Amino acid sequence: MPSYKLTYFKGKGRAELARLLFAAGGIEYEDVRVEGEQWAELKPKTPMGQLPILEVDGTMICQGKAIGRLIAKEAGMAGKTHLNQARADMICDGLDDLGMKLMPLFTEKDENKKEEMKKEMTEKTLPSFFDLFEKLASAEGYFVGDSLTWADVNFFAFLGVISGFNQGDHLQGYVNLNKVMGNVSSNPGIAKWLKERPVTQF
Amino acid sequence: MSSYKLTYFNGRGRAETTRLLFAAGGIKYEDVRIEGAQWPALKPNTPFGHLPILEVDGVTLSESATIARFVAKRAGLAGEGDVQQARADMVVDAVRDVFGKVAAAFFEKDETKKGELIKELAENTLPTFLNNVEKLANPSGYFVGDSLTWSDIEFYYVLEAAGGMCPGDHLKDKPNLTKVVTNVKTNPGIAKWLEERPQTTF
Repeated sequence: MPSYKLTYFKGKGRAELARLLFAAGGIEYEDVRVEGEQWAELKPKTPMGQLPILEVDGTMICQGKAIGRLIAKEAGMAGKTHLNQARADMICDGLDDLGMKLMPLFTEKDENKKEEMKKEMTEKTLPSFFDLFEKLASAEGYFVGDSLTWADVNFFAFLGVISGFNQGDHLQGYVNLNKVMGNVSSNPGIAKWLKERPVTQF
Repeated sequence: MSSYKLTYFNGRGRAETTRLLFAAGGIKYEDVRIEGAQWPALKPNTPFGHLPILEVDGVTLSESATIARFVAKRAGLAGEGDVQQARADMVVDAVRDVFGKVAAAFFEKDETKKGELIKELAENTLPTFLNNVEKLANPSGYFVGDSLTWSDIEFYYVLEAAGGMCPGDHLKDKPNLTKVVTNVKTNPGIAKWLEERPQTTF
């Protein structure tokens, strides 16, 4: 059994996907959270000067999605065939595209501009993405096949980021997507983690 | 034996690494290139409303990184084992970040903004990226293990794309990366494709 050490800042951010997947797979890992000086010291030792990083049996992996995919494979949640794995990858890439669109909103400092961007997000950007994702999720609430994959978990994590930023029922009316959320949050390992995880600002 | 149909616009853009991978793997595929006028009719029939898409065995995949990873697996170029595959994924994620910035600069219509984006690429993004990945490539010129993987090919391509936008000898003092480029260009399938591929503006 490999030993896993996940390092990130003190929040959910780009590491929560990994944590949810470790939980779903019942895989033990060291959940390291750093800040300030610890980060300054660690940064030059990371492959690309960024977090999260995952150390597994002496190898360092960075990039949130690469880490997520690796843990998903370990947890048997990557998709059963190459094609299914690709469908899962595709969903996760699509979520990244959406994340990129929303980045300017998360980093905007001007309050007025921020309000405008929030409006754009809730009235246009999110609905058009959710319309697409609704068609990609099955009626049973899975993006790939008929069981939980990291695509479902990633979607769940992503909604967490949005809700943290803007309260509201973003998935009202999206039957399949609501089912996805339910499937993820009721996974026993994940349900336990959601109860126990540290409450953080981001 | 699967049948593969890749659809994109008439250019290299976000489809070229997949074409390079098909070439490296000696895998036959239909290389469909559509004109602008054909796009509106096709768009609603794609998972996320953008190209490229890959149709394989009745399934449609979108998201260029997903498609490339899938073809890499089929071509035996994804990496051996989960951890190596994750290392390859990690490099590709970093490559794609840079490619996104190259694409943004390429498509920017405002000449002043374009100039700024190109400057940022040349002075900041590219040098930082190249410094990071020089350390990740080994002296034999591979990012993962001791043979070609899709991470080497993705790197080759982003350099080709960025070089078009920011001329210069970016690999001066980068012996490992120089070897990576050579390894990619001298792969027989890729060498043949580089000679024969259509010449396009992007």
